[in-house]
Amino acid sequence: MAFNGVNISVEAPIENQIQEITYDGVEIYQPPLTLSESLAKYAQKIDFSKTEADLKCEDTLDDSKSDSDSKEAFQSSLWPWDNVRNKLRNAFQEICVLADVLAVAKDKKYMVLDPVPQEPLETKTMVQIFARKKALAGAADVLLAGVEKLKTSQNEAARNRTTPDFHIELLRLRQNWRLKKVSNTIIGDLSYRTAGSKYLQTGTFEVTKAEEDEKSSSPPSSPGGVPPIKPSSALKVSIPSELQGVAYIEVLCQKDQEDLCSANINLLGSGAPSSNPDMHWQQKLEAAQNVLFCKELFNQLAKEAVELQAPIPHMVVGNQIMATVLPGIQLIIALRHSTTADKKLEKPAPSKSEHDHVLEHSLHQLLREVHHKNTHHPFPHPATGPLGPSKKRMMAGPMAADRYELLEMTKQEKLLEQIVKQAQHFIMRMRTEYVLDTIAKEFKDPLISSHWNTLNSPTQSCVKINISTHGYDAVCRTPLVIHVGEKSLKCICRDGKVMNMSYEPQELRDLIFCHINQHQILAIQALAKTMGWQSLGNSNHLGSGPVEPLGNAASCLLVSPTGDRIIAVRCEPQASGLQVSVAHSPRTDFFPSRLVTERKWEHLGGQFRDVRLDKMEGKNFLHKMELLMASLTSNS
Amino acid sequence: MGVTILTQFPVENKTGPQIIELLSKRISALGAVPQGQFLVDCETYSSVPALGHQRTVHVLHNSEQPATVFALLETGTKTIPLATDGLFDLLMMKMSSFYQSKKQTKAESKGPRFEIGDFCVKLGSVTVSSNFKGVLVEVEYKPCVVPAMCWDLIMEFMQGFLGSLGPTTPPSFLQNRMQDIYSPIDTIQQYLEHFTLFRKSPGPALIMRPQ
Repeated sequence: MAFNGVNISVEAPIENQIQEITYDGVEIYQPPLTLSESLAKYAQKIDFSKTEADLKCEDTLDDSKSDSDSKEAFQSSLWPWDNVRNKLRNAFQEICVLADVLAVAKDKKYMVLDPVPQEPLETKTMVQIFARKKALAGAADVLLAGVEKLKTSQNEAARNRTTPDFHIELLRLRQNWRLKKVSNTIIGDLSYRTAGSKYLQTGTFEVTKAEEDEKSSSPPSSPGGVPPIKPSSALKVSIPSELQGVAYIEVLCQKDQEDLCSANINLLGSGAPSSNPDMHWQQKLEAAQNVLFCKELFNQLAKEAVELQAPIPHMVVGNQIMATVLPGIQLIIALRHSTTADKKLEKPAPSKSEHDHVLEHSLHQLLREVHHKNTHHPFPHPATGPLGPSKKRMMAGPMAADRYELLEMTKQEKLLEQIVKQAQHFIMRMRTEYVLDTIAKEFKDPLISSHWNTLNSPTQSCVKINISTHGYDAVCRTPLVIHVGEKSLKCICRDGKVMNMSYEPQELRDLIFCHINQHQILAIQALAKTMGWQSLGNSNHLGSGPVEPLGNAASCLLVSPTGDRIIAVRCEPQASGLQVSVAHSPRTDFFPSRLVTERKWEHLGGQFRDVRLDKMEGKNFLHKMELLMASLTSNS
Repeated sequence: MGVTILTQFPVENKTGPQIIELLSKRISALGAVPQGQFLVDCETYSSVPALGHQRTVHVLHNSEQPATVFALLETGTKTIPLATDGLFDLLMMKMSSFYQSKKQTKAESKGPRFEIGDFCVKLGSVTVSSNFKGVLVEVEYKPCVVPAMCWDLIMEFMQGFLGSLGPTTPPSFLQNRMQDIYSPIDTIQQYLEHFTLFRKSPGPALIMRPQ
């Protein structure tokens, strides 16, 4: 207690040990130990025998016996301190003796403390010599190997200056790829992690100096006498086996086991690199990176295919994802990864890929977009705010967005959904094109021309259709605009009406037919106006006549300038459904009968007689009608 | 987001749950569908004397706008409304040496939420520091944002289930804003108005209809 330090009181925690927890959760505690009990417990924990055993040599036997005796006795004896007392007494005795000895030795009269001399080690000289010799030989070997290396490299550098220097190559590699030095090796990274990818697979490769390869490859090249651009470089990159080879993602649109279209994704384009071992490192690394990218893309798509709850569930089988785009049409996305050997065998597959590069590009683009989003957070992001939420979400607080809006914000379109939508649009566009082209081919009389907008989004495009008659474009023209969406078509008609159609191409076909029909009626009225004829009336939906299978017949009634000729035109939506009739009033010849006694009654209008259009001259319907009107006008 | 009208429903010798149940029955009979619960709470902070002139900040949350914290700063002459991010709560914690909260004045209104056509009805029982104070009925008409254009419709609708106890004049807060575009902070201002009234009143029995 020389130091008047801080008093520290040590106590056991108040909580008692839990003895048992009953099923109803009641904890039964052990009763706390009394003071004497706990002191005895702690004293028992002190192991006195340890130090004693070291000091005592001979007489421990007896002591330990007595110790164990006393320990056993302790269990039963009423006085638990017997053991402790004995130990303490022994220790005290020893300390006393030691103190005496030290006191005596200090006087240096009766006792002197001397260091004990140690036995000198017996050294065998021969063994030492051999060991040194061996060590020296080892060191010499290392030095000689180094010299050899330096010599060969210098010789080589002197012999052919064309071989690029390792360090220059390394510099070039460093300019394009991420490298780092880990102890004695150079490790590179070709993953898209820095570009925002969160794919777990690492894309590490190792860079080594290629000397053995060069040695073996240079002799065959030198006898040829041709110093070509050496394919082998001073660098060798070793890529993990799972990234070797060539990979691409194949996108197919199938209709009942029949290919509608297909696109192959290969980031390296047409020039698929052969994966021979002496490929240049740049190509090798690019190929490996491509493999990694394809793997990530496919992994992402497969994950989403399993997660998404589509009406017709997506299927993931092996390296293939199948999603239903439209009834009867499937989108198949497959990961094709070929190593060197079967590269030649797969040659027929790419022949399918001549179709369209839109889906190829889109898939590529979609993942890049995800990467970009991961690294580029929308501005402004305050230093205190969290990173990650969209700009909209960031504004949600101050703009007091309600629950519904917030819920909407959490919904994000998955990659697969987007590509399915694009595929749907692709098919819709193809179908629309097909329908328009076939109708344009079928119909020559009103000409149908379609103009596709060059600017469109991956899921929406627009086509403008003009129905006009050759030679009469200025007289009448029926424009239509069709918006092609993902699963539906929207047609904006000439009169501003909007028609929504489903993905069935027949609907569009029917609509175009109806419009051809209307066009004819409108065109003939416009023509009549220029000819000086009057339109008595027209109806786009005629109630009379036989029921049409499609839409309604349209008709119009025209009267000549003098009013004595009437032309009636009836147009049915079916092909070649044009009927033209002519009536004269009064008739040129009049014979009084018993019923019609006077000529004036003939002004009421006479019988209609059909005109046989196919026998008439004229290039098309409007031309024929022009001729007909002209002839009827001149007659009067 | 539409126009919201908040009104008190008088408590006459009845407990809060009884009234809520009564109104729930009435609104359900009209065909309303229960849509969970709602909660509007209000905490009041006042500036420490060292800052000089006494100012009060009311921080309110509305479960309808879960990402938003509303704050109304009363300077004595005017009220400055603010709609902010959820981080504002943390900011208030940091400012605890300047603005101290009055713990015993924490007011909240919570209860069932109903939807009926374009209307959203919320029946809230108001507690001020966990003492029941009264009942607030909130009616929102979602398709409209100008109070003047839909006030009559809302009034008629409220009388449909509140009977003659429904409001006959627009809330005082809205009276000179009838032609403005309504925003969520206006709802909060109405709530604050009522909470202030409730805080002043000693008990549920003494609540008068605002006329």
